[in-house]
Amino acid sequence: MRDSNYQSEFEKILARDYFSSKFNPLRKNAFKQFLDNGLSNKYWDNLRFTNLSVLKKNIFRISEASDSPPENFKYPEPIIKEKYKIVFYNGHYQKNLTTLPDSIKILTNLEYYSDPAKKVLQPSNSPFDLLNTAFMDSGMCLIIEKNIEINNPILLIFINSGEDQLMISPRIHIDLGKSSSIHLFEHHLGFQTGNFSNVTTFLSLKENSFLKHIRLQMDSSQAINSGNIHIEQDQNSKYYLSHFGQGSNLGSISLNSNLNGKGAECHLNSLSLTNGHQHLDANVLINHISSHCTSSQNFKTVLKDSSSGVFNGKVVVNKNAQKTDSTQSNKNILLSKKAKMNSNPQLVINADDVKCSHGSSTGEIDPDALFYLRSRGINETTAKSILIHGFISEILDTVNNHDIKSFIKSNFDKWIEN
Amino acid sequence: MLEIKNLHAKVNRKSILKGINLTIKEGEIHAVMGKNGSGKSTLSNIVTGKEGYNVTNGDIKFKNKSILEWSPEKRSLNGIFMSFQYPVVMPGVNNTYFLKAAVNAKRKHDGEKELDAASFLRIIKEKLKELKMDASYLQRAVNDGFSGGEKKRNEILQMLTLEPKLAILDETDSGLDIDALKIISDGVNRSRSSKRSFLVITHYQRLLKYIEPDVVHVLIDGKIVKSGDKDLALKLEEKGYGWLEK
Repeated sequence: MRDSNYQSEFEKILARDYFSSKFNPLRKNAFKQFLDNGLSNKYWDNLRFTNLSVLKKNIFRISEASDSPPENFKYPEPIIKEKYKIVFYNGHYQKNLTTLPDSIKILTNLEYYSDPAKKVLQPSNSPFDLLNTAFMDSGMCLIIEKNIEINNPILLIFINSGEDQLMISPRIHIDLGKSSSIHLFEHHLGFQTGNFSNVTTFLSLKENSFLKHIRLQMDSSQAINSGNIHIEQDQNSKYYLSHFGQGSNLGSISLNSNLNGKGAECHLNSLSLTNGHQHLDANVLINHISSHCTSSQNFKTVLKDSSSGVFNGKVVVNKNAQKTDSTQSNKNILLSKKAKMNSNPQLVINADDVKCSHGSSTGEIDPDALFYLRSRGINETTAKSILIHGFISEILDTVNNHDIKSFIKSNFDKWIEN
Repeated sequence: MLEIKNLHAKVNRKSILKGINLTIKEGEIHAVMGKNGSGKSTLSNIVTGKEGYNVTNGDIKFKNKSILEWSPEKRSLNGIFMSFQYPVVMPGVNNTYFLKAAVNAKRKHDGEKELDAASFLRIIKEKLKELKMDASYLQRAVNDGFSGGEKKRNEILQMLTLEPKLAILDETDSGLDIDALKIISDGVNRSRSSKRSFLVITHYQRLLKYIEPDVVHVLIDGKIVKSGDKDLALKLEEKGYGWLEK
């Protein structure tokens, strides 16, 4: 949509009487930055290979109260019969569907900011971040005090539905206390909608805490889905991400982690499957600030048809981050001559006693492996499918919850066979 | 069983095979010996149907049918097997899954009922024992992290499981210590029968001490320059290839 359309929606959000004195100056600031730099691929280096034309062409309006689920809305059969879940519909928090253990405190919408001491964060790593600050209109904050261990996964589901094209800008905070541990399963689902879902998430991991985060993006094929994740990690905290990108027309995940405390670990695994004219990208920035921290990135993409993908992975090792251990790997399979992948792994090292490695490869299915299988009597189609399954299994295996894993797997199996 | 007639082949416009004639009858073991670059691997790859070779003249018949136009899987399903010189590593592809897919493709082709997981495991576990392979093998990915000896044993395991009519052993002895060589040769010898033929491709005579060939051929510069009985292999060991070169 053109600037004038963003502008008119922006006026609407400013007019809302919701923490306006706290938010509006920040919104204005972010929106100005957005207008100044716009969606220019030249300004946003990470988006050099991303086609942002749908963000310019399509006209979105902000989500209103009337965009709540209609009374007869049929929620998808609980995909996984999770005990704990938090449900958003077109950005609207669904209180009646949400269940959480007593040990987790939830502040809905942007109530988190009612505490005058809470600063509103204004990341500016991408136009998506800026738009989220300018238009944030929903969300929640989970507060998990220290020494709390919750083993059942918490399903955080975003459902996008309806005929109109909405711009949805939730803001999520998860504050994980010292020595606490949770499993989060974030699931994005879309039904015949061309929404622009732009979720910014702040994860704060206190000392010795543990967060296992699965993110499954199955937004509708016309949607734009951006997940902007910012992680602050204290001493000995551990963050594990298994990200699966399959849906949306334009999908973007950006992961920014600051390893602030000694011994913190950040492990990012991602698998994207693209087809048609779909574009999915992944942008990673890991900042090794303290010593003895570990980070790993294992990003894979399988591309069909005329689809495209981008991997921008950057690791920065600061001067004091001695004994850093960092690995970075990006592997992609192109199943069509028209598919395109841009891979850009980067390392910036300013300390001398570190162990860092990175590698990237993009190509067709290994012809030697294909011949090997065929020479054992396995037909070409089956052989290809066996090799793709082999390629993706490494990322699938990072999900240890059996139900979630088989749900994701059965979805991906269908994708491969089609 | 296998009849190769006046086979000429090129790779990237370079002539590699320059008129190979070779006939292997049912139940026979033939060895093709030659130095690196003589065309040994090209020959086995063309028989198994690998792409990238241009056959410019001649024919290959298997059971009296020309197979040059057959896909690799069709050749395999009809009974041609090759033990690879360099078995391919396939991370993420489970050995059990792979072998079961291969066995069932064969059974389906032969009009037999496909094996369920339990019957397959029973069969495979017996073969593992024969080759002194650990059962943990079944959980591992195909050739991933395997030592040289393990990879070659895995090839022979596949051969024993698929029960081919013609087995080509391409440099199966390279990189094997004496124990592994014995285990593999024992496996091959046990599977010898009047209905099964072997084409053993090797650089050295070593393997032929354990797997005794009926006929030995010497391949030099894309042509078979001499054929004889197993004593020819001994002579080559002693005198090298020089006396046969121009």
